Amino acid sequence: MKRILSVVLALAMMMALVVTTANAADFTINVNIWDSNQQKGLQEIADDWTAISGVPVKIEVVDWNNYWTLLEAGARGGELPDVFWCHSNTVQMYMENDLLLDLTPYVQKDGIDMSQYYEGITELYTRSDGKIFALPKDHDTIALLYNKAIFDKYEVAYPTDSWTWQDMYEAAKQITEKSNGDVYGYALNTSNNQDGWYNLVYDYGAQVITEDHKGTTIGSDNGKAGMEMVRTLLTVGAPQTVVAETGTDSLFQSNKVGMITQGSWMINSFYTAESHADYYWASLPYADVNGNGQCDDGERWSCYNGLGWAAAYNTQHPDECASLIEYFCSEAAQKKQAELGVTMAGIKGISDEFANAFPGMDVSAFTKAESFNLYFRPYTRNTVVWEDALQQQGGFLDAWQDPSNAELMATACDNAQRIIEEAIAAE
Amino acid sequence: MAKPRKKMTAAAKNEAKWAWAFILPTIIGLLVLNYWPAIDTVIQSFYKTGDFGMGNKWVGLANYEKVFGSAEIWQSLWNTVKYALIEVPFGVCIALVLAVFLNRKLKGTSFFRTIFFLPMVCAPAAVAMVWRWLYNQQFGLLNNIFHTNTAWISDPNIAWISIGVIGVWSVIGYNMVLFISGLQEIPGDYYEAAAIDGATGIKQFFKITVPLLSPTTFFIVQTRLIGALTVFDLMFMVMDKTNVALKKTQSLVYLFYDYAFTKGNQGYGAAVVMFLVIFIMIITFILQKLEKKLVFYN
Repeated sequence: MKRILSVVLALAMMMALVVTTANAADFTINVNIWDSNQQKGLQEIADDWTAISGVPVKIEVVDWNNYWTLLEAGARGGELPDVFWCHSNTVQMYMENDLLLDLTPYVQKDGIDMSQYYEGITELYTRSDGKIFALPKDHDTIALLYNKAIFDKYEVAYPTDSWTWQDMYEAAKQITEKSNGDVYGYALNTSNNQDGWYNLVYDYGAQVITEDHKGTTIGSDNGKAGMEMVRTLLTVGAPQTVVAETGTDSLFQSNKVGMITQGSWMINSFYTAESHADYYWASLPYADVNGNGQCDDGERWSCYNGLGWAAAYNTQHPDECASLIEYFCSEAAQKKQAELGVTMAGIKGISDEFANAFPGMDVSAFTKAESFNLYFRPYTRNTVVWEDALQQQGGFLDAWQDPSNAELMATACDNAQRIIEEAIAAE
Repeated sequence: MAKPRKKMTAAAKNEAKWAWAFILPTIIGLLVLNYWPAIDTVIQSFYKTGDFGMGNKWVGLANYEKVFGSAEIWQSLWNTVKYALIEVPFGVCIALVLAVFLNRKLKGTSFFRTIFFLPMVCAPAAVAMVWRWLYNQQFGLLNNIFHTNTAWISDPNIAWISIGVIGVWSVIGYNMVLFISGLQEIPGDYYEAAAIDGATGIKQFFKITVPLLSPTTFFIVQTRLIGALTVFDLMFMVMDKTNVALKKTQSLVYLFYDYAFTKGNQGYGAAVVMFLVIFIMIITFILQKLEKKLVFYN
């Protein structure tokens, strides 16, 4: 009797389970991203979509380096996550090999206006045959970060939005000299390209990668002028041996550096840092190329980049994946994304709320940057190859080791021109 | 000695079947996870590999020509050899001395054995991260204690030694355990007889311990040499991409990783690794020849 009873009870419990789960879908959409700072906010947005669609979404974070190893292995083995982020460094290869779900039919069917997004991002995720493989998730800009306590201590005037790079050099010089080298006015690492020296190249009128993605003008006179300014800044900044061991962010957070330039994707790590009350953001300085004392069109550039939401070509649930991506890239969700301080939107002109997303820290420098000249993060088919070579010896490394030597920098620009051209030729 | 062929009995056949069944999982594992990738690497080294392993293009010996003509490769080979020249001799000598001391009946030997073996238990990546901070020029413990301002890992003249030191530190415990087991094989009578004849401790060490331990020493030298020549994690974890000393410390396997996985050029990466395999084969061959001369088997 007891036995029968227990069987009946067990059956009843199973029935209950079946009944309660019948409403929700019996599958989950797996999402992979690489930034743990964004996980919480994105999960919140994904849950909004779940409330509509009934399909649960699981967001998993894999750190940047492993993300790409994992994604490539997944692409080879046909085991990609359902939905994931794409980046300008590698997306070309994924698109050309048909590893991403073609979103064009969904975009057409649901009448999504692609012109609402930033052009550079849309262009990046559209293949040469016009097919769309990812929708713009966000955009980022660059600003100048400074430590007010250090400026106070050495009695140097704070950065303003009308600073030129020369002004920045003077301030950095004062800090480095007044502290006898205990604190550096500025720190830059060769790997800080998008948030660092790229911007100077554009300010002085050259391009790291030309608009057709087939060449560079870094070795031109303009490019050399930009890099000459970088070199000048480095003479009063932290030496490269120091930066290579500790990293500019760590140096800044250890109050060893007065100023760095950083991208909007890094705000959270400074917002949550120990002495965050001393950290302030200002607009990127500009280059007064024509010498008229004001910032004219083309003299202040900020790099911007945008991630894309893409789905695997062989996902079991293409319709749901496309629906989730469309939701992530809808105006409502991207507004929420900006409000929550996750990132600024991929849609133009709806990111103002982002400036208020970090109570106690004014990050309006990033939204202001939208009115500068913006250039999309330089990319070619296999960006990593030349990006990597530029960082190493034979690229800019030699010149940055010894910033007092102007000739080294000019040679490095010629080398860079050659490195990029050879890399593009080999693609 | 040729065995006479015998027909297997039913029981023997049955036994053989089971034996196969038991070793099959291991064999399949070896074939699929070790041998096939090895063969695949050889094949890939003759191709210009396409994205995601698709569209490979046969290029013959082009990858190898590039490897042999590349200054970067020869520099990395030299870096690797330099690393081995620090890790193997120091790792062996220090471990041998420690093993001799810890082989005595003293209080706390097991405590010290554990202490010295501990680095072996730590994840290599974690070890490298901790050392990276110890070496740090700005905030590192080493510079703080000695009141120096040495760029331990960014000065191209010093960095290779600093990396080697980490290698020695990590490997001592493992070598020591092998030495202790070798020491316990040596009969105590030899030492007693030597002591009666008036041999000092140091003389005993060089006349008895060292020669009788030579099979163990040879084994350790050979395995560690191969281990040292395939070093990767130390350089990968300790050296930043923008470190000026990277070119003077990066090992061949590091280059392989860089080309094959970071830059997506598997074909060239495979050729780099084949270059290393050939080099290790030559070294092993020479060692095998030396074995007959240097190693004392009683």
